[in-house]
Amino acid sequence: MIRIDGLTKRFGDRTAVDDLTFTVEPGRVTGFLGPNGAGKSTTMRMILGLDKPNAGSVTINGHGYVGTARPMREVGALLDARALHSGRTARNHLLCLAQTNGIPGKRVDEVLDLVGLESVARKRAGSFSLGMGQRLGIAAALLGDPKVLLFDEPVNGLDPEGIKWIRELMRSLAGEDRTVLVSSHLMSEMAQTADHLIVIGRGKLIADIGIGEFVRQGSNVLVRADGQDRLAPRLIEAGGSIQQGTDGSFIVTGLEARQIGEAALAAGVVLTELTPQRSLEQAYMDLTRDSVEFHASVA
Amino acid sequence: MTAAIADTVRSEWTKFRSIPSNVPVLLVTVAVMVGAGALTAGGASKGYQAAGAAFDATYISMYGGFLFAQISVGSLGVLVVTSEYATGMIRTSLTVVPRRGRLLAAKVWTFGVIALVMGEVAAFGSFLLGQTVIGAAGAPAAELGHPGVLRAVVGMGLIWALVGLIGVALGCLLRDTMAATTVVVAVNFIIPIIGPRLMPAAVGDWVTTYWPISAGLQVTTTVHQAGRLAPWTGLGLMAAFTAVLLMVAFVVFRSRDA
Repeated sequence: MIRIDGLTKRFGDRTAVDDLTFTVEPGRVTGFLGPNGAGKSTTMRMILGLDKPNAGSVTINGHGYVGTARPMREVGALLDARALHSGRTARNHLLCLAQTNGIPGKRVDEVLDLVGLESVARKRAGSFSLGMGQRLGIAAALLGDPKVLLFDEPVNGLDPEGIKWIRELMRSLAGEDRTVLVSSHLMSEMAQTADHLIVIGRGKLIADIGIGEFVRQGSNVLVRADGQDRLAPRLIEAGGSIQQGTDGSFIVTGLEARQIGEAALAAGVVLTELTPQRSLEQAYMDLTRDSVEFHASVA
Repeated sequence: MTAAIADTVRSEWTKFRSIPSNVPVLLVTVAVMVGAGALTAGGASKGYQAAGAAFDATYISMYGGFLFAQISVGSLGVLVVTSEYATGMIRTSLTVVPRRGRLLAAKVWTFGVIALVMGEVAAFGSFLLGQTVIGAAGAPAAELGHPGVLRAVVGMGLIWALVGLIGVALGCLLRDTMAATTVVVAVNFIIPIIGPRLMPAAVGDWVTTYWPISAGLQVTTTVHQAGRLAPWTGLGLMAAFTAVLLMVAFVVFRSRDA
């Protein structure tokens, strides 16, 4: 479990992380979502003690990370797959990390096998493709069989097969009751992997929410029905909100299509159209619109 | 040494030997010290008559080669730290060893030992080959049993270790390979070797006597020159300078964001 309390980091007069408080629970994949520059990587660096916060604290499994006796058994992290010496072989890279924590060379071969790099173990890491580099970074994170895993944008630059592999890996790690925090700036990616979302923008917490609730809140559905005046109260009763369209249709927010269908059945109303309007991506963009640092303007 | 620091030292040794260029560069550096030392010893011994009692066969056999070798030793020390900053590896290293003092201490220990061992090999190699060359040129060669000779040769290995550690400290402070290497060359070569010729006499004398590496190299002499520090005093001054530089590096390394 990771507990973050009032975490603040300033670089000069820019506040990168602003009084952030949240908890990452074990046994599920927590997506750490925010636009570029929102403070995700800075937060992860502070969790690992690489950057010192100006205020606030982080505890991992109840204590600070820096004083841990065997850090790799506590936390495994993939921050930047390119952060290695390109002249070293994959195996030597992992070996020098493993040795710091007294992890035997046998485990190095195990994780190389696990990530599918056993055939290139003695090749220089600098010759690796982006995808192989990500696999090597993940192998490093898994070396100590840690209880907490941090992945910063792990699917960047991966091919579809690699993305699928990482998704399944994260799900299985969470299934073993580990704490898994995965950052991304892409909602679509998180929708397929995460059970829970921490959304930040400009260093501030925007949402700390289950993926199901996020989907429900984020969905807009266009509805046409014979007998709208009978349907509307039922929808409001079910927790939806209604916006009247121009041409006899209306937009329902906060209910999924199935719930609208059930409301129509209960009201004895025929639905003539039921169209989900807004993607999760759109919902996420609406949520973070005010906190995006750099907008592209349309000339 | 506790088990955990031993683990970090083992890791640093793996890091050092697994960068393909490091070991060959070290071996070439030893060869350059021995080879260049023999050449300069051959040249210098031709004029031994003029030098008379000041002729220091031990010093002459090592000093010429050392001038070249020390640049390489200092640069390797710099790279022990800056190569991690250049590649981003430092963040991975500090994730698996979050105690920063421990990581830097392991680097200092590992490279210090490497530089010391290779320095002793180079010192004895250049001394032994140098004495053969000096003898062949008709000048009086030194022997390890002569007064002060063993101290001078062993001391040259210690100088290697200190030059390497000055490199580690500067690499840690400056984090950039070019910047740190430039400073190492300035501190150990340009200021003490070329500097005194360009400076006012009083300043030049002061540099020749008290500049860390100039003072330290007194340990490699067997003939004491008037006005210079005694051998161990000089080495002590250089060691103290290195220690202060390392302490500053530790303080900065612990407080800075990685």
